[in-house]
Amino acid sequence: MIIKILLPILIIFTPMTTRIIDRIIYVLRTIVIGLKPIQSSKSSERKDYATRITMMCLRNLLRRRFRTSLCLFGVSLATIFIVAIGATTTNYTAVIREMNIFFSGDVVVVAEGAMVIQAFPVMGGNLPVSVAEKVQQVNGVKTAVPMLVRFGYQVEAVIQLAPTNVSIGIPPGNWSVLVGHTPLKPGGNWPSGDPGKKEVVVGPSLAGQYDLAVSSKVKVENTSLTVIGILDTRSALLSRSIILPLKLAQRLYYGHTMWINMVVAKPEEYGIQEQVANRIEEGIEGLEALTTHERHEIIEPLLHDVETWTLGLNSVLSLLSMILVTTVAMMNVSERRRDFATLDAIGAPKSAIFRMVITETMLIGLLGGLAGILLGSIAAILIASFYTNIPLSMFFFDLFNIVSPLFMMKILASTAAVSCVAGVIPAIAASRMNISEVLRSEY
Amino acid sequence: MIVETQELTRMYRLGASVIMAVNKVSLEIKESTFVSIAGPSGSGKTTLLHLIGLNDRPTSGKVFFKNEDTSLLSHRERREIRLRNIGFVFQTFNLLPTLTALENVELPMALAKIPPKLQREKAIQLLEAVGLTGRLQHRSKELSTGEMQRVAIARALANDPLLILADEPTGELDSETGYEIIKLLLRLCRTHKTTVVVATHDERVAKASDVKYSMRDGLITRDVGL
Repeated sequence: MIIKILLPILIIFTPMTTRIIDRIIYVLRTIVIGLKPIQSSKSSERKDYATRITMMCLRNLLRRRFRTSLCLFGVSLATIFIVAIGATTTNYTAVIREMNIFFSGDVVVVAEGAMVIQAFPVMGGNLPVSVAEKVQQVNGVKTAVPMLVRFGYQVEAVIQLAPTNVSIGIPPGNWSVLVGHTPLKPGGNWPSGDPGKKEVVVGPSLAGQYDLAVSSKVKVENTSLTVIGILDTRSALLSRSIILPLKLAQRLYYGHTMWINMVVAKPEEYGIQEQVANRIEEGIEGLEALTTHERHEIIEPLLHDVETWTLGLNSVLSLLSMILVTTVAMMNVSERRRDFATLDAIGAPKSAIFRMVITETMLIGLLGGLAGILLGSIAAILIASFYTNIPLSMFFFDLFNIVSPLFMMKILASTAAVSCVAGVIPAIAASRMNISEVLRSEY
Repeated sequence: MIVETQELTRMYRLGASVIMAVNKVSLEIKESTFVSIAGPSGSGKTTLLHLIGLNDRPTSGKVFFKNEDTSLLSHRERREIRLRNIGFVFQTFNLLPTLTALENVELPMALAKIPPKLQREKAIQLLEAVGLTGRLQHRSKELSTGEMQRVAIARALANDPLLILADEPTGELDSETGYEIIKLLLRLCRTHKTTVVVATHDERVAKASDVKYSMRDGLITRDVGL
């Protein structure tokens, strides 16, 4: 039954892969020992030959069900980790990198000692609101926009790697400094600026999670606010943001309107960002003025480390799964010495025997990889939901954004490639057997 | 002459000692004959068959296949001869356990890149010829030893070989089934005009053969022609 289901699927791409392997062997043989070209046979015979080999391999794997299952389990487990960790780190690093797109070309001014991730202060560092006016006075600054940014972590939840939402207070009329040309969904408006009205705009992901629409109520810091617009964006940060007038944000988080935690300074002309930053730092005490490049430099080594560790972990997992596949393939080959010797005796080319072993390991890689990708994607969603406290259902509809199809294809291809490489030593061992010795010793 | 050997010698090293498995064997095998090579275990029969069947290379001496010196052939050319001109029947049948009887017989034809439809037709025909009409879809573990040996014979005949080499084909079979197999090989030799060389210590095989050889300690000790 399993054969009936799997065979048609595998036959579609296995002949293609094995033909590539054949071609490589042929080219290498031609180069190394100068053999004459092999007479090409008709495609129907080639297909029959490839089908037969694939079928034999599948049956051989099924014959040793327990061992094959264990091997598939091992490969799947490694793939699950690779997919889950890979997708999670890729998403987080992408979101963090995206944050630097905000205020690109501008100077972000924060209090000295504040912890900044890309363009936003994530911890500490309040500034008096008058700082914005002082920054505005600095030579070369066109506009200085004060802002209050608060990342919301649900403290009752488990350890959260990523904030659940972000509130951004910004003076009315300066929305474009933050959102650029991002429009609102039909029927929405930007807040008027009257803090008494308690109007906010929310991101689409938050709106989806809490079923918010225009004129819905949302509670922030125990204050009921009215949603008057929903952003139409795919930006990870803006999707989870609550944008509100600065004064309203200050009252919500400080209870008064004296503090902010960042100022965005727009230089008068392109190319003087660094000079402006230096002038701000020299002219106003206790501030840190960060250019796009400096902001990038703060986080980039950390992201680079994360990526390197992920790559290292993936390499170790791939190596372990390769060792597992090689060991199992070696066991299979040593148990089937007589079969290979018989094939050789009845005239099977060494390449066919080589190809059989490689096809078997590749099938393990493909099947294990497919199972691993499926389960790994679910794991990635669970991780994302677990650490952000965003409901699982929201991620399921967004599966291909978390684990992209290209990433899935890459993992599948690399799992198959690793398995093929894992099969090389057993395949060589199988194809180099001395027929007469094996047949004599097997009696 | 289909096969001729000249001073064929095969030595093995077993630790410090050297075993002379085949010692300067010279023989000639004519086409369409039934040849038996009798001898006790360890006399060198199997090694001689592997040398004649181009599965192994001699330490010295030569094997001529259809008057062609096989020592000059590459591995690939020797394999081509094995595939198209030589059929093997082993004592332990050596059927591929994951394949059905029909698929086992089709396998050499698939390796020879014969069109699938022809493979199927011929495999059915061969299995019918060895009396296994109802066992086409059975795997080796579902067959009796006699049936397995019949499948092995059908497989050996798949590519219409000029020569069939059978190594103790009745060794694993009971007396009655063994006799059936000998009769089958003889019939094939007569009807297909195939040369059959059988290594055996079964006296009935020796009696039924056209040409009898005896081996002991790697030497052809007796040569009885018709």
